Amino acid sequence: MASSQELSGFLRDVERRAFKQTVYAVRDEHAALDIVQDAMLKLAEKYADKPVAEYPMLFQRILQNTMRDFWRRQKVRNLWTTLLSSFGVGKDGEDDHDPLDIIDVEDGTENPMAQLEQSQTIKIIEKAIEKLPARQREAFILRYWEDMDVAETAEVMGCSQGSVKTHCSRAVHSLAALLEKQGLGTRATDI
Amino acid sequence: MTVDNMKKENKNQHMHPLADAESEAAQAKEMVKLLDTHASHLSMRTLKQLENGRTQALKIHKAKTERINRDGTISYLVGWTEHHRIVTSGMLLAAVIAGFIFMQMLNKDIEYGDAFLLGADLPPEAFVDTTFEPSLNRT
Repeated sequence: MASSQELSGFLRDVERRAFKQTVYAVRDEHAALDIVQDAMLKLAEKYADKPVAEYPMLFQRILQNTMRDFWRRQKVRNLWTTLLSSFGVGKDGEDDHDPLDIIDVEDGTENPMAQLEQSQTIKIIEKAIEKLPARQREAFILRYWEDMDVAETAEVMGCSQGSVKTHCSRAVHSLAALLEKQGLGTRATDI
Repeated sequence: MTVDNMKKENKNQHMHPLADAESEAAQAKEMVKLLDTHASHLSMRTLKQLENGRTQALKIHKAKTERINRDGTISYLVGWTEHHRIVTSGMLLAAVIAGFIFMQMLNKDIEYGDAFLLGADLPPEAFVDTTFEPSLNRT
């Protein structure tokens, strides 16, 4: 059974990547935060008795399922919003902007030009990842970002290892092609 | 290295799927490295909310592990009730068994009824006819 310190360490290690990964999938930062928090709570609630070695896979599976639940709810909500909007019920247009949203944590990079170029490159990669089909994005992130092997990725995604390899290969090719189109060869990511 | 040699090398690389896979993995790792850098630069608000989520998860984990440690086997045995799918399937199974037993009992009643009708002195039509019993009482 994992101790509280082990769980804390695991969540601390995974939370930022999980958040970004969810943002790529749902394209909404607030929803992504809710989803990641939900996944954390579910992991702690349902799998408190599991060893910490099992946490990465369990957490990824919970995260993927929570994202799917979000899409299902979103579908129903969109249906109602469409119906209600035809009766003239609209958004309030309220702006709950918070200054904390734009304060970034110090990254220690000295050169502002290099920083700007890097952030532009990252934005292009992120947009490219967002454009990927859901399964390809999922496979790419689990396999390369979460550093899972093919078998683990297949288990989390609930598909065969061959499918994982195909999804990963297609994802990398699509990303490389999109970056090339933007004038950034894969080598250019070294900027 | 001449251009021809480079072309040949490229051609050879395309002929080896293993080399392709390796180059794909290298490309992916480069992209992921950048994403990793970016993921560590989140806004204060996001980090705060992630921390809140983590703290809540830890509270739940602590409560759970304390319970497991306190009453070990009992809570483990009782804990299965938290798995709603098992509970629902169990309830469904119990309902089916109860229904089966009820039907058996009902069949037994019908069997007794049939035996009574066959063993009675009166014809079965007499029990169906509503006017028969009052006329029998009158006589």
